[in-house]
Amino acid sequence: MNSALRISHVGLRGIVGKGLTATHVMEFAAAFGTFLEPGRPVVLGRDPRLSGNMIREGVVASLLGCGHDVIDLGVVSTPVVQHAIQRLDAAGGIAISASHNTIDWNALRFFGPSGIYLNTAEAGELLDIYHLRRFRYEEWNRLGKLVVVDTAIDAYLDGLERVFDLESLRPLKVVVDCCNGTSALILRRMNERFGCGFILINERVDGRTVAHTPNTSASIVELQLGPLMKPLGADAGFLFDMDADRVALADEQGRGISEEMILPMLADHLLPSSVGKLVIANLSSTALLEDVAARHGGRVLRVPVGRQAAIDALSTYRPEQIALAGEGTGAVMMPQFRFVYDGIASMLAILTMMRQRGQSVSEILAGYPKHHILKAEIPLTSSNIPALLIELQGLYPDGQMDRSDGLRISWPDRWFHVRVSQTEPIIRVIAEQRGAEPRELFESLLERVRSLN
Amino acid sequence: MARQHLLKVGVSGVRGVIGGFLTPALGASYAQAFGTYVGKGRVVIGRDTRTSGEMLTHAVNCGLLAAGCEVIDLGVIPTPTIQIYIAHTRARGGMALTASHNPPEYNALKLFNREGLFFNHYERSELLDLFHQSDFARAGNEEIRAVRQDLTTAPALHLARVLSRVDADAIRRRRFRVALDGVNGAGSELSVRFLQSVLGTQLEAISVDPTKVFPRIAEPRPDTLTELAELVRRSGSDVGFGQDPDGDRLAVCDETGQVLDNDDVLALAVHRALAYTPGDVVVNLTTSAAIDDIAMAHGRKVYRTPVGEANVVEMMQAVGAAIGGEGSSGGIIYPAVHLCRDSYTAMALVLDLMAETGKTVSQLVAELPRYTRLSGKVAFEHGRLGTLMQSLEEGFPDAETNRMDGLKLSWADRWLHVRSSNTEPLLRLAVEARTAEAAQTLFDDAWRQLTS
Repeated sequence: MNSALRISHVGLRGIVGKGLTATHVMEFAAAFGTFLEPGRPVVLGRDPRLSGNMIREGVVASLLGCGHDVIDLGVVSTPVVQHAIQRLDAAGGIAISASHNTIDWNALRFFGPSGIYLNTAEAGELLDIYHLRRFRYEEWNRLGKLVVVDTAIDAYLDGLERVFDLESLRPLKVVVDCCNGTSALILRRMNERFGCGFILINERVDGRTVAHTPNTSASIVELQLGPLMKPLGADAGFLFDMDADRVALADEQGRGISEEMILPMLADHLLPSSVGKLVIANLSSTALLEDVAARHGGRVLRVPVGRQAAIDALSTYRPEQIALAGEGTGAVMMPQFRFVYDGIASMLAILTMMRQRGQSVSEILAGYPKHHILKAEIPLTSSNIPALLIELQGLYPDGQMDRSDGLRISWPDRWFHVRVSQTEPIIRVIAEQRGAEPRELFESLLERVRSLN
Repeated sequence: MARQHLLKVGVSGVRGVIGGFLTPALGASYAQAFGTYVGKGRVVIGRDTRTSGEMLTHAVNCGLLAAGCEVIDLGVIPTPTIQIYIAHTRARGGMALTASHNPPEYNALKLFNREGLFFNHYERSELLDLFHQSDFARAGNEEIRAVRQDLTTAPALHLARVLSRVDADAIRRRRFRVALDGVNGAGSELSVRFLQSVLGTQLEAISVDPTKVFPRIAEPRPDTLTELAELVRRSGSDVGFGQDPDGDRLAVCDETGQVLDNDDVLALAVHRALAYTPGDVVVNLTTSAAIDDIAMAHGRKVYRTPVGEANVVEMMQAVGAAIGGEGSSGGIIYPAVHLCRDSYTAMALVLDLMAETGKTVSQLVAELPRYTRLSGKVAFEHGRLGTLMQSLEEGFPDAETNRMDGLKLSWADRWLHVRSSNTEPLLRLAVEARTAEAAQTLFDDAWRQLTS
């Protein structure tokens, strides 16, 4: 049960009952209530997991106890929470969601006053307060009040409506696998309000059962939506995780599209009209991004893997310098949406792209050079990873090197990335090449990592 | 400087000052221990009107849900109403989030078993061990449920129970003028409904806004109910009622604006109840000997217990008592309604007695056996308690001694009782005698011994 509880810069996460307990929740929420500046409310929302009922009570109690008013949005997506924070001029917010983890997990995610995840410095301060356990509880006559708001999804949709021409998307036939998560509530409402006509599957939201692992990978989207696309004559298929911050895509043929492709597609769509030309991506995601960026005068900034590095990178640039940021997992943030990982917005951007170009998903993808990616995991045995990486680095002296997260070496047509996972005791090895599989590079890399490990 | 008990985690539950002492995390842990103890099933909660009630409700919900319990939240509601609801709905147990008559900066958890009774001594110490061991039941996603609110069933149930035990029609026919001070407590709305709509009295009510803070010291006593007394006089009411924040205690004011001694209220209730219900009487050691006289007149016995509602209830259950209570703190326990301290039962019994006899409150009180009671508090240092008690006992060699709770010394016509407070480092001294002079003499003698 070594992974049943994780407390780190990205917050608190665990299997409810096994690792994650009421006490963890209450103390972490009290730490956040202490960390935030007093006087302004805190926005709260949760995904439909049943454990969210318990966690919500604990979070509310601790925040009220620290003197913050709490605005509870109920069961909503994480992006809805993030948008509400700025709209309601809150001190910050908490989303109770384990997102793409299995149903027995849950987590607390913390946002600052702009609705963006805490950066590493802020998260470090929060962790220190948590570990010190010296919380700023207010006296009896200075406690917060709870306000329950059930209109947050509509307010969020108002925001989407200002950026996207939703009615123009009506002619597209779109199938969505909601994975029994919060996207179902949003998309149902979009059908009611805007006549979007999205066809929803796995849309029952009871927090108890999920039709499949809430993971946004190409294989799951192909398995779930593949068989439906042709019979329904659908133009595109989408699949969300529980809290709708990530999205996966299926084309009109019923093929699952790699989650890696979401970011390049959106870069292709947004860069031409964007003032900012910077695309922030991690070291492990596809080099197609560089190809696409080059077409529109964009530049790719590679940062370490994980949400935290992307969030930190955001805060080192001015918003208007950035076109978009994201990861190879289908999680993308756009400046139009205040840098919120938002699967629904990503979906709408892809649909808009299809309408504007008059192209199908497969036609859009056909316009890109083909990159072939190979991935492997090797059990971690070495206790001296830095030595391994230095030796490895010596074997490829001709490439361009990046040591900010493991070792990434790139050449004009290919690259590889070797790093130790932050969540599991494994070494991840990834190699990609334009035009053909980097089989030779990949095999020799695996052999060398194994022998050095 | 006197030590203050800002937080007390003990066999009687958790009580403390909000803001760093009784924290939400502590409330949740205690609730999770409670949920573990009573088992996965329905647990009923409710609260009084303290500002910290909302926060503490969510904390307790968190702990109970984490233990896999199904939480029924009755909202802002009197404590006896919660107890009656627990028993009626066959829940696993319940909690009242209230520091009862304590000041507004305090809050506490009162714990009830599946019969809606205070946890007995054994249950309480088992729960405390469980809390300290932190070996809680931990529900997984599948077992965690949403909190369910039920704001209407319990009040209706409670009032129906009370009404079934008195002659409500007789009370209605009298169209009594009644004054009420609800201390802006959990009973504020229910009391107005009970007195005005249900019993048809002409009600003059103050402090019945549950959204406001307590306007007076929360404990209903003669010195805290001056506003009620004034209201009784001004409105020409037949009777005045003063509640505490969680609606279990009641003080009564007669038609002249005189707030009754709480022992006399209990005496009136015992007198009324014994006429209706066969059985003996249970009161604590500090309660007036008037109760013995009344019980004797009805051919009944009186059992004495240590101070504390839980102790009285435990004994009442054991002997199948008809009625019981704690004199000085304003508590009537009438098992025919429920084995709990209940201000609604007390109001109904008083009104019932007035309706049946046609007498005024002051006339009814005048008929009670007359005793004079005096009380005081002495600060003491830990370690000196035993010596103090012993010297007191030696000072009165002719008295009958009871060491069940502190020291009670009794004679045929008078008694004195000294015990240490559970909440402060104080000794409480109470004396009672047939005459004012005898009471004063006894009080002065005891006071000298305790303070010398």
